[in-house]
Amino acid sequence: MSSDVIRLTLRSSIDQPVEIDGLTPDRTAMLSEAEISTLPVFIGSRRAALGDFFVVDGERSNRLHIDGDLRNVSGLGAAMTSGELLVHGSVGGRVGAGMTGGSIEIDGDAGDDAGLGISGGALRIRGDAGDRLGAAPAGAAKGMTGGEIAVSGSAGTEVAARARRGLVAVGGDVGADAARAIIAGTLVVFGRIGTDPGRGSKRGSIVALGEIEIPSTYEYACTYQPTYVRMLLTYLSRRYGMTAEAATLDGPYARYCGDAGHPGKGEILAYTPANR
Amino acid sequence: MEIRGVFIQDTFAEAFGMRAARLIITARTLKWAREAALKLTGFATSVIACKCEAGIERELAPAETPDARPGVSVLFFTMDMDSLGKRLTERIGQTVLTCPTASCFDGLPAAVDRLPAGRALRVFGDKLQISKIVGGQRYWRIPVMEGECLVQESFGVQKKGVGGGNFLVLAASADAGLAAAEAAVDAIEGMPGVILPFPGGVVRSGSKVGARNYKGMIASTNDAYCPTVRPRTKTELPDGVNAVLEVVLDGLDAPTINRAMRAGIEAACRPGVRAIGAGNYGGKLGPYHFHLRQVMADGDV
Repeated sequence: MSSDVIRLTLRSSIDQPVEIDGLTPDRTAMLSEAEISTLPVFIGSRRAALGDFFVVDGERSNRLHIDGDLRNVSGLGAAMTSGELLVHGSVGGRVGAGMTGGSIEIDGDAGDDAGLGISGGALRIRGDAGDRLGAAPAGAAKGMTGGEIAVSGSAGTEVAARARRGLVAVGGDVGADAARAIIAGTLVVFGRIGTDPGRGSKRGSIVALGEIEIPSTYEYACTYQPTYVRMLLTYLSRRYGMTAEAATLDGPYARYCGDAGHPGKGEILAYTPANR
Repeated sequence: MEIRGVFIQDTFAEAFGMRAARLIITARTLKWAREAALKLTGFATSVIACKCEAGIERELAPAETPDARPGVSVLFFTMDMDSLGKRLTERIGQTVLTCPTASCFDGLPAAVDRLPAGRALRVFGDKLQISKIVGGQRYWRIPVMEGECLVQESFGVQKKGVGGGNFLVLAASADAGLAAAEAAVDAIEGMPGVILPFPGGVVRSGSKVGARNYKGMIASTNDAYCPTVRPRTKTELPDGVNAVLEVVLDGLDAPTINRAMRAGIEAACRPGVRAIGAGNYGGKLGPYHFHLRQVMADGDV
């Protein structure tokens, strides 16, 4: 028997750090309810079972819904390849890290390292995200190499750092070092962008709808109305419900090329209304 | 069979399989989207001499286009995949790339077979072009003097396209025939998945395969339906017919052609029209046969 959806409900609040790597819809699609309940969970170095923390309802489905405050749970949806993971609540670190496909939706906040090094799929966070959103795992040369990350709220530092491909959209503000050493891909920020955006970038785009301090190593090209930005913002609105001010669709946008010497094929497109 | 006194001949339209693409052309205003679309679909009436057939399918509201700008949907037909790719690259390059504010997107996103027409155009950017992936689709931003031209990399291909659907309006006078043909075109235009590639949707110079008196001709006048030479040829014209016009249809599939023919013929049955006929080659050349009486009886092909 297979269920339409597998539902996990928290038995009681989790007040210590818990690692749940490997809890992905592609995996639960092949497991019975009993097998799902025995999936390993780590509290520090101590091993426990998923069923110790959650009531499991359903089996053999690639749609996995989890209810509860999971701020202390890290690794949810890590390395996911397909299916649907929906969390009604906030989650801890590394949600969707290394995912290659499928969709994750967090109806709450996410911790640090969300979408770290993803190569495909869609990660939707309706609240805020922590540091290193879509960035590179420790020691890795590349950050995300594909897929899409959409955050309704704000995000921390080093968003999309070393990204090689893919799309990151943040509805609020982002911290310092956004798109640091980005190799390619696009970061769209509706709010304010912190210091040193795009530092050391090779290619890639930063689309800034809010305040941004253009680094001195970026060179002004022109002020124009890029159809690409209009299409991108239209896509974000239709696909993720992230709707920017209507005026930002047409711009104008100031285009800056940089980062000087790295070899300057990157760009910052800064929304430049007449009254700013 | 008669419709409002117009005789529906017991014959069929013979049509051919074609490869089809749908382009979504957008621009800052509908005027500029139409300018690009009109140029792109210009001189594209028949593969016989134009190498492709194309026409405007309909206008699109901003809510229907990828960049939320006004747009025009264009259908594009050729006989094979190779020529479809070449013609798309040529025509998008010369008409959309050149047109102020215009962009070009794929209108068949679910199609498995794809042609990289946009990828071929990217080299116009002389390595200053930028590639972007949004929603799993790659787009090219090509720098131009105005700013940038945005073109989708690949375009879906409908392998079950049908070209050469047709019906003949046999009228007592040229005026009556033209009025009936115009009514048919009005009824068909805007239907999804179909275009009428000829001027105003109407053809006055229907053709037969080859020629009796000139070697090497691919096609020559369909003299059996030419009223001025009625005594000199093996005519197919009923008594009282003094003008014939043909409505030619290309569609994304056979059922679409069927529906459009039905709507067009229904509208064309008006005063001054003696009969509705169809062009065919005896059923030996084209795999799609649209029998008029079956079409009008609401039947499938």
